[in-house]
Amino acid sequence: MAVSPTDVREEGIAVEPGAAPSSGVPIRQTNLWKDAWRRYIRNRAAVIAGVGFLLILLYCLLAPILSPYDPTFVDYSIAKQDPSLHHLFGTDKFGRDLFERTALGGRVSILIGFGATLAILAIGVVYGAISGFVGGRLDNGLMRFLDALYGLPYLPFAIITLAIIGRTNMWTMMIALSIASWFTTARIVRGQVISLKENDYVRAAKAVGARWYRILFRHLLPNTLGVLIIAIFLELPAVILGEAFLSFIGLGISPPDPSWGAMAQEGRGTYRTHPIEIVVPSVAIASLVMCANFIADGLRDALDPRSRKN
Amino acid sequence: MRKKTLWLSLALLISSMALIAAGCGGSDDNASGTTTGAGGTEAAKQVITVNWGTEPPSLDPGLATDVTSSNILLNIMDPLVKLDKDLKPQPSAAESFETSADGKTVTFVLKDGLKWTNGDPVTANDFEYSWKRTISPELGADYAYQFYGIVGAQEYNSCDPKKDQCAALADKVGVKAVDDKTLEVKLTNPQPWFTQQVAHHSFLAVNKKAVDQFGEKWTEAANIVTNGPFKLAKWEHNSAIDIVKNPDWRDAASVKLTRVNGRLIADGLTAVQAFEAGEIDVLQGGLPTDEMSRLKELPTYQQYPGLGTYYEGFNVKNVPDVKQRRAMSLAINRRSIIDNIAQADQLPATGFTPKGMPGFDVINPNSPWMPEEGDIEQAKQLMSEVANPVKDLTFYVNDSPGHREIAVAIQSAWKQELGISTTIKQQEFQQYLEFLGPPPNKDVDVYRLGWIGDFVDAINFLDLWTCKSGNNNTNYCNPKYDEVIEKAKLTEDNDARYKLYAEAEDIMFGENGDMPTIPIYFYTYTALERENVKDSYETNLLDQVDLTKVVVTE
Amino acid sequence: MLKFIVRRVFWTIPVLLVVIFLTFMMMRQIEGSPFRHSERAVPPAVLQNLERKFNLDKPWYLQYAYYVKGVFTLDLGPSLVLRGQDVNDIVKTHFPKSIELGLYAFLFAIFVGVPLGVAAALRHNTAVDYSAMFFSNVFHAVPSFLIATLMIYFIALKAGALPTSGWTTWQHKIMPSIALGFGPMALFARLVRGTMLETLQQDYVRTARAKGLRYRRVVGLHVLRNSLIPVITAAGPLLGYIITGSFVIELIFNIPGIGGYYVTAVSARDYSVVMGLTVLLSGLVIIANLVVDILYGLLDPRTRDARI
Repeated sequence: MAVSPTDVREEGIAVEPGAAPSSGVPIRQTNLWKDAWRRYIRNRAAVIAGVGFLLILLYCLLAPILSPYDPTFVDYSIAKQDPSLHHLFGTDKFGRDLFERTALGGRVSILIGFGATLAILAIGVVYGAISGFVGGRLDNGLMRFLDALYGLPYLPFAIITLAIIGRTNMWTMMIALSIASWFTTARIVRGQVISLKENDYVRAAKAVGARWYRILFRHLLPNTLGVLIIAIFLELPAVILGEAFLSFIGLGISPPDPSWGAMAQEGRGTYRTHPIEIVVPSVAIASLVMCANFIADGLRDALDPRSRKN
Repeated sequence: MRKKTLWLSLALLISSMALIAAGCGGSDDNASGTTTGAGGTEAAKQVITVNWGTEPPSLDPGLATDVTSSNILLNIMDPLVKLDKDLKPQPSAAESFETSADGKTVTFVLKDGLKWTNGDPVTANDFEYSWKRTISPELGADYAYQFYGIVGAQEYNSCDPKKDQCAALADKVGVKAVDDKTLEVKLTNPQPWFTQQVAHHSFLAVNKKAVDQFGEKWTEAANIVTNGPFKLAKWEHNSAIDIVKNPDWRDAASVKLTRVNGRLIADGLTAVQAFEAGEIDVLQGGLPTDEMSRLKELPTYQQYPGLGTYYEGFNVKNVPDVKQRRAMSLAINRRSIIDNIAQADQLPATGFTPKGMPGFDVINPNSPWMPEEGDIEQAKQLMSEVANPVKDLTFYVNDSPGHREIAVAIQSAWKQELGISTTIKQQEFQQYLEFLGPPPNKDVDVYRLGWIGDFVDAINFLDLWTCKSGNNNTNYCNPKYDEVIEKAKLTEDNDARYKLYAEAEDIMFGENGDMPTIPIYFYTYTALERENVKDSYETNLLDQVDLTKVVVTE
Repeated sequence: MLKFIVRRVFWTIPVLLVVIFLTFMMMRQIEGSPFRHSERAVPPAVLQNLERKFNLDKPWYLQYAYYVKGVFTLDLGPSLVLRGQDVNDIVKTHFPKSIELGLYAFLFAIFVGVPLGVAAALRHNTAVDYSAMFFSNVFHAVPSFLIATLMIYFIALKAGALPTSGWTTWQHKIMPSIALGFGPMALFARLVRGTMLETLQQDYVRTARAKGLRYRRVVGLHVLRNSLIPVITAAGPLLGYIITGSFVIELIFNIPGIGGYYVTAVSARDYSVVMGLTVLLSGLVIIANLVVDILYGLLDPRTRDARI
């Protein structure tokens, strides 16, 4: 398989060393997933990251339910408290429990993260699949267009999008973060579809007269699933950091629902007297991003075994 | 004049003491220093670094609209009049000014020896040229409306170069240089506040030669020609604006500072860090509220009363019952909002015209509906009397820090005490302004805004609430109120006018007041000032500093 | 080859046009006026004068045509808010600072990240490897604003070693560059380590060693050179990363660069500045892609064929 320069670059930034799309997908699917699971489990770092990721999710889900405090109730008499048994992370400048608010912020940040990631994948899959599947002139046009857009900074477009919508909430944040971030995914999917198209079983399906949509939906897209799962965990950290950046420059979602980025931005104001308000959400962001990175590494090793030998 | 003699005697005193000190101390004259009027010892190096705040959109007096440019312009240019401590206009570039018997003609006579930095003399023609330039439709100046009180100005500003004879209209504008020294201004009607208004930076003169030669770029440091106590030395966009003493200024001897280095740090927290790291000496305005409780304890902390009012406005069509509006005002604890949220010792509002405004004691209605800590009992009582209470309100605020917190505090008071539930909606500032109107937006029930005076007369505040005002987003329209304001505009005598203003305030906030708005507090300006300039660095009610009065002490 | 270059160049023009069009249409959707700076309402006459002055009274397609013409004649028009300044002026004063910041961050990333990666690979599965990877993973994940805030607190305020903000002397430039460079540094370390481990196992390396070449020489000559390729390939997309990071870093350190100013321009509705800066940033990335692709085409004939 000829490696196009674009693929090389994706290896560089996104898929990391040598993750050339595998062309020889085993025919019995169940075995592939079982093998992948076994390989993943053997990777200690990835397992720890996976457990960590689940713990963070659980914390975000359960802490607000179990917490005795009202996350929006303002009480200046207990503002800016240090961590204690009552308030594990202390309280913020409005006297709200940070342990609970961080969990709430996590819900928002993670929802935005997954929402935007899925939107990015959806756009990317449609664009990439059309381009790769139809091929020919259309593919050429779409790809040349993408070549030029590739690497375009998403932030300016995200900022303009947020300004158009005016008030930032979870949904508008998802739109802003996905609007100019799908170029890489589209390329990966297209590469994958093209290499799969040449596979024997696709040719066989064509030979027996299968319709194009059957080939696309039954044979091609399911086989890109592995790559897409990896892509989720590669894209997630970028989106979560993106949300944090936008919030930090003052374009985050409006209170009272916090997000980690918005909390960090709020916390920056008081970092001199009460540093925990910026440290907690930042560390939360960092842990989630780190877990996602390791999971992505592990998934790649597991789903694409030829990529790493060491 | 009294002031001048004071300075003169001080200067004499200082120089004589300097002589004595030099005589005694011998070689070591730098270290000994001299005594200043403020009581400290004058430092040898009269250089300070200040933070101007955000990048000024323009340093063209005609185009500038913000506090930063106003502050810089009033120090590098020479205004006809300056406002003193009591906000009375005092001659500056003008030797004298005089209002005719009918109040419709104001004549300024310029001082001798006024010079541009390119050596040309400053004449009355410069002022005529500058004012007409600002009014002209081609310049597209925001503050052109500041001149609308002058005969023919509005007509000229509204002319369309494609259709009308703009040049003819320009000639009809009532500004005329009678000779090199005399500027005559014809007003549409008597405007007692006009001489105060002339202290505003849009009434400064610009140098025609520089404007003609460099076009829009004439305000760059390399091109600019000024006529004030300081000169623009450097303008590095978004980074620094430095000004230096102008040795050729008419009263250069009284100016102590030789150089003012100005940083442009917009973010409050970053600016505070720079101050605490010793990179800047004065940080005027923009102190972050989050840090207020800590900063207030510092010896460098300073605060000044400001000429501004923070208020919540009603859409009176959506909240029609005046009793409900009064009850909603009574339910608000202004003291708690100031102490816990705003945190800069703002003054609880007692009317719309802020404290510090000339005539405040007469004008202020001491509204019975705005007790400092609220009056829950009375609020509940009033609310129960409302025939058709509106119990579900939408409350709009813009999304800058602080406003939402205030809205939340008010929201919880209305909910708990009056059973009114409110939904707070936030918008980004520019969008917000357009959203509010005019015409007033139907979706808005309550909104927050502030008003900061640009000249010192209560008309600047009270004119807002007339039926046709472009800033009235409340739908409030009371012909009686308009009548009083119209009458006040024609009343030249200060005391009589203040009484009319008081009448207007009473119509809005008195015992039988209409309560179209709920004023919350009067602004204060906060600053951090290094102790060696703290005594002489003073900000006036309009947040402007006169750098000619600043002295660095040891 | 020439055909490939011509085709590649040809495709950037429609893309640039689309970017301009999208930005133009998006900006028009934003509510709020660039001519209203405060609570104070602007009289209709004044507003009319301003709209006339900046051609905003013309129909949108004319405005778009003027703008496209402006972009291709390298005149991005006047700022609507900073009166007297053209977008070109703003670019001239602000852009070099952003470039400088990005460059220093990039240099920091290379000069710290690459040795870290090499060390980790050569000491594979030792404490050196583990700690290098731990740090690079942490720094890859920690948001740059936390790093920047902590640096200001400890280095500038507590120790008084460096200035807190600004972009004038070299002392001013250290902290922002490092804060922005940490992310890419961590990325480089991981990339170099990964590819190096792979190359060390390649046949030709074994051959070279079998031939008796000294280990050091093998590493220096063959392995490192080959391992740097992904670093170079990552450099292109990193441009976008650094642009993104500069928005935050420029805000925190009050650096008069493009990123810091962009947000201000959007909230002030300064249409021409926002459009100008967006087109400029996009154009830069598009051209960088173009150059990288052409270089690839020149270096590796296979790719040229693969893409035609």
